[in-house]
Amino acid sequence: MIQNVIIGQYVPGKSLIHRFDPRAKLLTVFLFVIIVFLANNWLTYAALGLFTLGAIILSKLPFRYLYNGLKPILLVIILTFFLHVLLTREGNVLFSLGWFKVYEGGVEQGIYISLRLLFLIMITSLLTLTTTPIDITDGIESLLGPFKRFGLPVHEFALMMSIALRFIPTLLEETDKIMKAQSARGAEFSSGPIKERLKAIIPLLVPLFIGAFKRAEDLALAMEARGYRGGEGRTKLRLLEWSAKDTMLIVSLVVLSVLLIMLRG
Amino acid sequence: MKTRSKTQRMIVVAMFSSISYLLMLLDFPLPGFPPFLQIDFSEIPALFVAVLYGPLAGVAVEAIKNTIHYGIAGSFTGVPVGQLANFIAGTLFIVPTAYIFRKFKQTKKGLTVGLVAGTLLMSIIMGLLNYVLILPAYTWFMGFEEMSAAARSTLVLTGITPFNIIKGIIIAVSFILLFVKLQPWFARQTKIA
Repeated sequence: MIQNVIIGQYVPGKSLIHRFDPRAKLLTVFLFVIIVFLANNWLTYAALGLFTLGAIILSKLPFRYLYNGLKPILLVIILTFFLHVLLTREGNVLFSLGWFKVYEGGVEQGIYISLRLLFLIMITSLLTLTTTPIDITDGIESLLGPFKRFGLPVHEFALMMSIALRFIPTLLEETDKIMKAQSARGAEFSSGPIKERLKAIIPLLVPLFIGAFKRAEDLALAMEARGYRGGEGRTKLRLLEWSAKDTMLIVSLVVLSVLLIMLRG
Repeated sequence: MKTRSKTQRMIVVAMFSSISYLLMLLDFPLPGFPPFLQIDFSEIPALFVAVLYGPLAGVAVEAIKNTIHYGIAGSFTGVPVGQLANFIAGTLFIVPTAYIFRKFKQTKKGLTVGLVAGTLLMSIIMGLLNYVLILPAYTWFMGFEEMSAAARSTLVLTGITPFNIIKGIIIAVSFILLFVKLQPWFARQTKIA
């Protein structure tokens, strides 16, 4: 569990999908989430499926990683499928068992919605599987750059995001340590009625808060000693580089959108 | 003399967002409510920062927490409906509390009044939002038939609103308990500011 919390799910690699600019990947996922809702017949779903499959193959990720991301959602997808099969009453009756009837429209609807969920999960997990959280944060900062003009604190938000991500493992370890220390003294965290949980959470939060505060003071001092003074004119160690393949990715997505609009019924 | 720079405030907000995200993972359902309504203590760090540095800092914690949650856990509709709902609920709870607390010159009475106001505001507006926006959005994304107005209002009145009130009370009580413990430290921090 700790591993999962730490880096999301990033799997190091050198595939084409890994090497895309994070901005291109973010834009792609954003657009994909929107155009998925255009699909409404089997041709459009096939197009989306091919795109998703192509992305998975290009990423060269072992299937097991994708399956791990899918596991918690699988039950929801299956449940959704059966709800649609049972509740939609359209089209011909496929078969009936006494009062229980399965309609063609229900099966069709069930398959479509399950596929839509599946594609969405696959594409969003591909992003987090092939991009480090820091790259994603850099990408978001760069994409939101234009909004600085309207007074949106884009740089500050990105900085806070990266610090928050960086300190999740550290603070998790600290939480774990405090919990163990309290458990050794007889505290219970994961069970009991709400009143007990309430009582247990306070001795956990007090040292955690004070500790985080001290850490923040140290980090602020260290950053200011190295001359940090906000985003204005700050240079970066790793620059994002937009290349031809990133433009191709966006173009392929535009082609997919046009295809969907043409094929949808 | 402690530094009270903008840098430090930003880092404190970031650290508490981390804590908030971690607490979000320790969620649990309340007996007698539908399982998608879960309670967690992630509002407490946000409240703490809001009380210390003002409402906006608390809103930042909520925003970072939900962005990280969406980035790591994703959302089963693909669109962060749940995270957005969590962000709005958290903001509605924190902003009035922090605002009133600071207006009342940071006394325990101010905190209590603020927490009551926050709980009420969150419950009422989240009830309305669920009725007109969030529930229809969920059913639309999942491709279900739209719930009827009657079904939605029953769910809101018997499920979501009582749940939000109870959640508000639980968080308010634990925050007051925490605040009492931390008050000496807290007073020291704000005095230097």
